[in-house]
Amino acid sequence: MDKRSMVRLLAVVTVAGLLFGACSSSGGSAKPSGAAGAGDPNDLLAKIKAAGVIKVGTDPAYPPQSELKSDGTFEGFDIDTANEIGKRLGVKVQFETPDFAVVEAGKWAGRFDISVGSVTITQVRLANLDFTAPYYFTPAQMTATKASGITSLDGLAGKTVCVGAATTYFQWIEGTLKLGDGSPLAPVPAGMKSITQKTDQECALSVKSGRKDFDGWLSSSTTVAAGIAGGAPMVVVGDPVFYEPLAVATDKSGPPHAELQAALDKIIKDMHADGTLSASSKKWFDGKDYSTK
Amino acid sequence: MTANATLAAPDVEPPILEKIRASQRAARSSFRLRFIVVWVLILGALGAAIVATGNANPDFTIKWSTYILGGAGLTILISAVSIFLATIFAIIGALGRLSSNGFINGAASLYVSLVRGTPLLVQIYFVFFALPQMGIVLDLIPAGILALSFNYGAYMTEIFRAGIQAVPRGQREAAEALGMPEGQVMRRIVLPQAVRIVVPAIGNDFVSMIKDSSLVSVVGLQEMLWRASTVGRSNSQLIQALLIAALVYWALTIFFSYFQAKLEKRLAQSDVRL
Repeated sequence: MDKRSMVRLLAVVTVAGLLFGACSSSGGSAKPSGAAGAGDPNDLLAKIKAAGVIKVGTDPAYPPQSELKSDGTFEGFDIDTANEIGKRLGVKVQFETPDFAVVEAGKWAGRFDISVGSVTITQVRLANLDFTAPYYFTPAQMTATKASGITSLDGLAGKTVCVGAATTYFQWIEGTLKLGDGSPLAPVPAGMKSITQKTDQECALSVKSGRKDFDGWLSSSTTVAAGIAGGAPMVVVGDPVFYEPLAVATDKSGPPHAELQAALDKIIKDMHADGTLSASSKKWFDGKDYSTK
Repeated sequence: MTANATLAAPDVEPPILEKIRASQRAARSSFRLRFIVVWVLILGALGAAIVATGNANPDFTIKWSTYILGGAGLTILISAVSIFLATIFAIIGALGRLSSNGFINGAASLYVSLVRGTPLLVQIYFVFFALPQMGIVLDLIPAGILALSFNYGAYMTEIFRAGIQAVPRGQREAAEALGMPEGQVMRRIVLPQAVRIVVPAIGNDFVSMIKDSSLVSVVGLQEMLWRASTVGRSNSQLIQALLIAALVYWALTIFFSYFQAKLEKRLAQSDVRL
């Protein structure tokens, strides 16, 4: 290739590079926390208020917490909570839909500001995420397939139980779960093994379609109820094995957010005190109030 | 006179020709008939199996088809932009692979080897997660387009390289004999003919890209597969929803393959034997 062609090649590559540079937004690299004075302009809270919109992560595959409507918008307990938070902060809410594993890992790179997605506070997650006080609690409920004939929690000793990937239910079976508020966990039946699917619902689908890969399914009581109502031939066994505290999460490695955290905590506390969360829970969870333990 | 008597009138064909033509017509239509029959039978059997296993729910279909179909726009947009960028990557890569400069050839070969040698899903996660850690944060759609085009560019590099090498040597020799510098030889003689050779492959890749674009659903882009799997999961109708999406992907493939066939025919006009 002669010199002129090389120059042209370089020009094309540079233009392509510049085009991509123009497309990318500025990096969300972590800066050390500045002093949290009132109205700190570097805090994420100030940036959100300036932009007038807060980006909230949600996974709309989990009715009744979060679910799609046929026009493409979302509805559910988590959605209402997020909208209420936005209202009390005085900003609009924009929903993003990252996979749960993306939320759990932290390092969101500013793609969204908070996650209102029924994320359980666990010791392991505290390494990547900052949590507010819990906004509600769900029981973790064990179920067994009708085909297995098991009717008690101990009956699942030595059996395989299906769980969603990266969930607290997986961690409970593996023995690595430590809830952030120190809630007690029921002992895991001896020899219980786990098998994971990408999401909790795929466990129910697996049983419904006749696969016999496992004998039990552990998930939140609301997800389990939805699965059984959707036709999975399973029965509830035993009492809930733990109650998980679910909170709003922010990214530890994101921009400084001490004020945002404080504002969120206050909003959640107010929503508990004035009954908003209680009423919302009764609306979405069949009259049950999960907002307190 | 005897000479005139043996000449047949020009518009009366010998009967044997008519028989040959008739039997060719019959063979063609029986071929077409059997082709259609087999399609109908197999699709019918599949459809019956789907209905029998309870995966055909008219209420669900009516409620959610529009929403799932709405993702097709984003799918086509991502695929179209990605194939365009992939073509640019491929031309640069192919020229690099054919270069006699060690640096350029080495870089292009590494690109091809590395990107063809790692799964596309891994590359999507890398663009989405690892690049921000190095300071490059792209929005969802540009990130998906970058991952797809970078990946397909590597595969298409090899196709373009083969296409360039398939242009008859005589063309290049003639151009050089006319005194054209290398750049002009490439730009005016070789590449235009190479493009004609690789168009079927690009069309093929575009059709394939439409399905591979579904992989970006893992990072939350609300294209067609994301919509289908989310709606399916939350309504306990995952198979049904995925079938709807599959049908739409198939329709898109048929649609674009038809245009690809037309394009190939148009480009091959110069090859028609008169």
